[in-house]
Amino acid sequence: MKKIVWPFMCFCGLTLCIPLLSQQDTTSLNDNLWEDDDDYSLYDDIEFVDESAKRFASAKVFDLSPQRFISIHWDAQLPYAMNFSDLGSFPVGENTTTYSETATANYTGGLRMMANIPVVSKNSIIWQMGANYWDTRYRISDQQGSAGSAGLGTILQSWGLRTMGLNTTVFKPLNEELFLLFQGSADLSGNYTLERFQSLRYLRYSAAVMIGKRSSDRKQWALGIARTYRVGELNYLPILLYNYTAPNRKWGTEILFPARAHYRRTFTPRSILLAGYELEGQSYRIRELSTSQNSLEIRRGELRLRAEYMKQITGFIWMSAQAGLRYDYSFNADFLPEDGKEFFRGFFGEQPFAMLNSLGSPLYFNIGIHLVSP
Amino acid sequence: MKNSILISLLIFLFSGLLFGQADQDKLVGVWEPSNGKARVKIDKIGNKYYGKIVWLKEPIDPETEQPKLDKNNPDVSMRSAPLRGYRMLKDFVYSGNGEWTEGTIYDPESGSTYNCVIKLKDDNTLDIRGYVGVKALGRTDVWKRLSVKK
Repeated sequence: MKKIVWPFMCFCGLTLCIPLLSQQDTTSLNDNLWEDDDDYSLYDDIEFVDESAKRFASAKVFDLSPQRFISIHWDAQLPYAMNFSDLGSFPVGENTTTYSETATANYTGGLRMMANIPVVSKNSIIWQMGANYWDTRYRISDQQGSAGSAGLGTILQSWGLRTMGLNTTVFKPLNEELFLLFQGSADLSGNYTLERFQSLRYLRYSAAVMIGKRSSDRKQWALGIARTYRVGELNYLPILLYNYTAPNRKWGTEILFPARAHYRRTFTPRSILLAGYELEGQSYRIRELSTSQNSLEIRRGELRLRAEYMKQITGFIWMSAQAGLRYDYSFNADFLPEDGKEFFRGFFGEQPFAMLNSLGSPLYFNIGIHLVSP
Repeated sequence: MKNSILISLLIFLFSGLLFGQADQDKLVGVWEPSNGKARVKIDKIGNKYYGKIVWLKEPIDPETEQPKLDKNNPDVSMRSAPLRGYRMLKDFVYSGNGEWTEGTIYDPESGSTYNCVIKLKDDNTLDIRGYVGVKALGRTDVWKRLSVKK
């Protein structure tokens, strides 16, 4: 029996030792990142082992500006004039030239924080959840008002405006080219604070659904429809996504029309300039001007014509610096009946406004720091 | 009798080691990322696993009409290295349960290197998760095994 055991043990010992003897110093491999000792033609004519394997359209095209996991911005506007009407009923299309309250906003700005975390991130589906918090503070001077004015300037200076919300995005590729995209969000906007929080009955919901095609590594487009507050009040709009990168990969476009459209100049993959516009909008409930029957909401919609420079600081930390013109599209207000029941005016509705307001269009600045996605 | 017990025990021990070895080496082979733009050959070197690009769907740079180079690499000295042959997966160690950890993945599109964990979903499918700091902040790509056409 011994005759069998010893050769067997020797064999096992050798089997164990061979891998140990063949180990290399891998430290040197870290420095030697490239090798060319293969006959690469061998890999031209191979196929999936699993015949059911499918390829899916990627969510990205070359050189898009980095997707942001976490962003913290500080946004500030230069001084501008504020003009507010009194509370009333103003037909659509009416132009108020006599405002009951005027003021100068010397400072408008605050912190903006956003997080966007992948819940499921595979090539067959991507699902992300996000949260955002925007704080806008006002410092106002030269206030002048008639006896009947609503005192909106004082309210804005006292409480500011806030938005917080949750959002979700689902990207579902159907095959190598076609994909579906869904985005939804719920936002609570108003002049609330943590101490006097606003009821969730005033949540406003936005959504978009699109179907699109990623026709190459440099181009994707999609068409769809959105329920949006981008112009301040509720609207339903057709939307177009068009992301493109030129063959020389030095420039491209990042467009989600009408929400935003940017020309992109890529200096290096770690240094990007975007130039274009973005529409921003929320419906802010003003507690002091609301009653138990009617919720007064400022339909803030603004067009930001801007240039943004993004640069990698280190690893996955990027910074951004943005400057542009903040154009006032709407700062009018609506009374929402039944304590906040939303209605749809669109471009052709005739529901009267509760206030007609106008703001100047100042320059603005925005700086941010971001943790970006792989 | 004692000898036969000893032999049985040795066979049991070494077969376990050999099967364990077979499990970790399931990573070795040629794989295609979901975008189909490249093929990556994973080899075991020492006790670690490395993957290099062995095939590109578009091997020629349309701008230079030369083989594509790693021109986005933050290390300037690497920007003249051809992409084909580049080790984009580095330093993976088998940690059991069909998972390889402690490695990194390099994305030639952005020139960024990410922490990475590889999970064998089945014999022919890998979940490759690149992440930033914590695994929750990442993206998973599914790679499929390739073999010579029959």
